[in-house]
Amino acid sequence: MNQTFKKETFRDDYTFSNSPEAVKRFPFPFHEDEYMYSVNIEPHVKTAVGSITEFTFDIDEHYVAECEDKAITLANDPQRYLCLPHMMDAQWDTLELMMESMSNDYPEQFNLTKEGDNWTWVNKPLGITTKFVFGDESSLPMEPLEYIGRQVQGDWVMLDQRDNNLFADGAIVTSQADWSLAIDVGMSWQEWHGPVPIANEIGVFDRALKYLLNLQLGSPVRRLNWTMTINPRLDTSPENYPIWGPDRLSVTPENVGDKVHLRVELQTLFRLPRSNGMLFGVRGYLISMNELVTNPLWAKRLHRVLKGLHPELAEYKGLSYKDITIDWLSKYDDGTSSE
Amino acid sequence: MERQYWIRSKPVYTSLLWHEKATAHLVIAEGDGGMAVLKLLQQKYPTQQVNGFFVKSPNALKNYADIISSLAPAEFKVFGNTTEALNSLKITLADCCMGTCFYVAGSEGFIWQVAKVLASVGVQDDDIDKELCGTLARTVYCVHCKAITHDAHHSVVACSGCQRQLFIRDHFSRRLGAYMGLMVDAEQPGILPSIEEVYP
Ligand code: HEM
Repeated sequence: MNQTFKKETFRDDYTFSNSPEAVKRFPFPFHEDEYMYSVNIEPHVKTAVGSITEFTFDIDEHYVAECEDKAITLANDPQRYLCLPHMMDAQWDTLELMMESMSNDYPEQFNLTKEGDNWTWVNKPLGITTKFVFGDESSLPMEPLEYIGRQVQGDWVMLDQRDNNLFADGAIVTSQADWSLAIDVGMSWQEWHGPVPIANEIGVFDRALKYLLNLQLGSPVRRLNWTMTINPRLDTSPENYPIWGPDRLSVTPENVGDKVHLRVELQTLFRLPRSNGMLFGVRGYLISMNELVTNPLWAKRLHRVLKGLHPELAEYKGLSYKDITIDWLSKYDDGTSSE
Repeated sequence: MERQYWIRSKPVYTSLLWHEKATAHLVIAEGDGGMAVLKLLQQKYPTQQVNGFFVKSPNALKNYADIISSLAPAEFKVFGNTTEALNSLKITLADCCMGTCFYVAGSEGFIWQVAKVLASVGVQDDDIDKELCGTLARTVYCVHCKAITHDAHHSVVACSGCQRQLFIRDHFSRRLGAYMGLMVDAEQPGILPSIEEVYP
């Protein structure tokens, strides 16, 4: 694969955009005209060439710019990486999984050589070469999860499994849809999902947890989640809410196409071998309304999904600009089938 | 106090009850938590060893220390402040036996300070009985500047660190012993909701 990486920003002047190829492979999450939470978990198997799940970890045209944005966020707030002490095995598990997958799947970009525990990692797009001793923390410039997490798009949470439950005991989180790692680290499945409306009442969380507790090594799973974001901003954290919150009120009928973005998260879950913990990835994809309506079926369907969205979900996701967006999308919906 | 649904990270507090099957009992209370201790003492007293720690508080309704000392069959160590009590607790915990039951009562801030000490020796949160007494005052963690603000009584509180007006979400971090505080007027600076005393 010969990937070129775009120069673009996810803050300040927001020069991010998708190429036509990126729009084509965008993971549009709606398979019908309405949406409600469900246990939408499926095996994380490799799919068609060029699709976002062709490989275990998706490295796309935004890779370099996203890693740069991540570095800025971490420099401003080092606590976007937090890990409890008992998670060191899981950290090495994660580093191994990522390095092995990326070097196998993208040999032109990443290279891993091993002589016993002496490993050499080469990341060409980011210009990184590191020799280190696998399992020896002092041989890396920072803890293993932070080291590798800075080189993979998306947010990464490590779960400890105990007492028939999962605990979010370590993570690197720089592009979250409005949840705080500082608050959530160490929490159980029920606690960190506490703020989500409706899902608990309809049994989604109990069933999903039961499924996950049996996750097998070598059989990862995935699901899609979605929200909307004003401007192509990755760091929509509660920490920086004073920075991005006012943007919600900046949406007008004239700028919907540019400003309003659908944000889809490809969430993946892997069992980890040594720790018997789990790795949870949240890989975000952004698409502006202007880009989205280049696909007439997506335009119609999003219009209908937003129109019928349960008010509690709309409030939870912070879609105060929903009605302006529906009006704007309505010109793309002639009422015919969206299949 | 948020929307219509209950956020499940919000701790639920109960009334203290002796666990008959324990190997020993450790009671740790502060201020108005004295009332919870007195209620414990009205129940059938355990046959196993009981250790007690009590922290006096000027805000408490009564001087519970004296009442407890005169009523309790076991000795309750009495302290003038929480720090001293927690230091003494750490020493006691070093030779605590397996199967000890833990009972904590007092303000929410106190309960989670004790829970943190207990956690450091491997006692799980679920294995600590907690009774909230005297006040619903909250400890708040500001997600913006990371400062902790104590004794919040209203739905919105000024951050002790950055002075932002924080809305107190029901989302509670046991690690921090605090609720999530989020700038209430971030979207429209200066526009505040009505502020109510909800945690007297
Ligand atoms: C085990 C790894 C997982 C972690 C660490 C995780 C974490 C989170 C977090 C932090 C939130 C935001 C809550 C807030 O507002 O503060 C969230 C939301 C949510 N999670 Fe999970 N989650 C995991 C797996 C799952 C799975 C497997 C499901 C499957 C049903 C799920 C369903 C949801 C839903 C429906 C929401 C609300 C999302 C929205 O409306 O935007 N989660 N999750």
